[in-house]
Amino acid sequence: MLQPSIPPVEPRPSLNTAAKLNVGDRLLRALYPPRANAWQLRWLGFAMLVLAAIFPWLGGPFYTRLAIESFLFGATALSVDILLGYAGLLSLGQAAYFGLAAYISALMYLHVTQSFWLVLVAVVTAVAVFSLVLGAVAIRAKGVYFALITFGAAEILSKIAHNTRAIGGSDGLIGIPVPRITLLPGVTIDLQNNFVFYYAVLGVLVLIYIGTRRILDSGFGAVLRAIRDNSDRVPYLGYNSFWYKLLAYIMAAQVAAVGGLIYPLLRGFVAPHLFGFEVSTKAVVMSLVGGVGTLLGPLAGSVIVTFLESAVGSYTERHLLVLGVIFIVFVMFLPDGLIGLARRLSASRGKAAP
Amino acid sequence: MIKVRALNKAFGGLRAVRDLSFEALPRCVTSIIGPNGAGKSTAFNLIAGTLQPDSGTVELDGRDITGRAPFALARLGVARSFQITNLFFGLSTFENVRLACQSLERRSSYLVRLDRLARPQACARAILAEFGLQERANELVGNLSHGDQRRVEIAVCMALRPRLLMLDEPTQGMSPSETAEFDALIKSLTGRATILLIEHDVDLVMSLSDHVIVMHQGEKLFEGTPDRVRASPLVREAYLGVDHAAV
Repeated sequence: MLQPSIPPVEPRPSLNTAAKLNVGDRLLRALYPPRANAWQLRWLGFAMLVLAAIFPWLGGPFYTRLAIESFLFGATALSVDILLGYAGLLSLGQAAYFGLAAYISALMYLHVTQSFWLVLVAVVTAVAVFSLVLGAVAIRAKGVYFALITFGAAEILSKIAHNTRAIGGSDGLIGIPVPRITLLPGVTIDLQNNFVFYYAVLGVLVLIYIGTRRILDSGFGAVLRAIRDNSDRVPYLGYNSFWYKLLAYIMAAQVAAVGGLIYPLLRGFVAPHLFGFEVSTKAVVMSLVGGVGTLLGPLAGSVIVTFLESAVGSYTERHLLVLGVIFIVFVMFLPDGLIGLARRLSASRGKAAP
Repeated sequence: MIKVRALNKAFGGLRAVRDLSFEALPRCVTSIIGPNGAGKSTAFNLIAGTLQPDSGTVELDGRDITGRAPFALARLGVARSFQITNLFFGLSTFENVRLACQSLERRSSYLVRLDRLARPQACARAILAEFGLQERANELVGNLSHGDQRRVEIAVCMALRPRLLMLDEPTQGMSPSETAEFDALIKSLTGRATILLIEHDVDLVMSLSDHVIVMHQGEKLFEGTPDRVRASPLVREAYLGVDHAAV
């Protein structure tokens, strides 16, 4: 679906020549971009960061909060990219971790504690256990079955939340208090203030991005890329691919959970739809729009998709239809996403000017 | 040295490998030949861990390795190539070899940044130089010529520093001149590992092998030096005669 199977290895024309490329070659080139232009990614990341840094002064409170929401879904999109862009696993159930984190965090603020750090520990632990168990099952399945199992698990959680009155049933939980977060003794983060909230979340997202990039820029990440490229070959090099995929899955789950951890503080409520298919697929679309396998792309994609959805939503109820169209257009015409497009444009310009 | 004893494998009613026993001596080339369907590839896959045998044992340097998973075998020093080129086509030649080198490193070093993980890089550069692939280092393996891809397969295997090197029709799909080049290449590796070879090209087998095992309908029909195999009327009837007639 999103991942092309590698075409059989007959000697074929070089991808580097601008000769006619068939669809398979295009997809191949899209998913395996040459590493040479990593500096472009760096510049793009820097530009995005500058834009993000000045945004609250331009946007006003509504858009500032919308931007925060896009950052939270951006973490989920990033988690999709860790799995799809590195390990070659398409998860349609990253909402499971978004929702799980959101519910645990909401329930704890309502009934247990006002300490953000205690909630953080609880969420990290719960997500680690859940992703370990589900991952160990799902990873044994291949291709579309992995997608189905992850999708099914998220749906089950959604139904459980929907039908359990103790956690609010279909109404969800409302009136979640916003805690004061003590960063250091004497330094507290006041989330009532939009600016503070915005920069805190932006900071968290930047840290996650850098951390993820750093972890995947390693021997571990190299093995994951090998798994994505040709998972059948990996064991013959002495790697037990199961563990690599499982670790990537757990890592992605934690990243997806960050969005859920903070979401209740932004919106003040949680509801079963946070586990839903819409959240999971939206993360996939965001990842695709930005560019799979770039880590930066999904973050850009999440901002674009969230704002687009909000804009479309003020005209029509059917914003999901728009999401669907975007998905189809990108799969068909821009499988390497906006970053891929930017890359190709700059490459062709480089060639034009000798 | 590798010892195979009474290996059996059936697919439903078809007994693909029957009571196969043989030994391959260290630093020698042992070849398995036989007509199509003789069970060569099945035997090969049983030894390499790709398939599980129904019964029988495989021993590598005195250690029982029967039925171990491919990743465990690779760590014990078994490297195999594939009949149909099987590499990381979307990664560079360098990265293909580097990944093999990396697998020899401690797993605790796997969170070190890739550009600081120096030893696998040096190892990969050395292997690429040895196999004359430096110029192709940064090209995607999917873009290489068939002959170069076959060469990368062997380079990847040798990067694993194998005790047992298993080559599954390494010259499959090659021109005669490329095959001759490979003949020399494989000869150059003989001192470094026990080599087990499946090959259709009879001339190549006869030129390379120290020991030849002839399989026919799942069983070992004959074994001996290339000369004795060539002289055997039994073998000629089952295999060589037919094959030579076809060529």
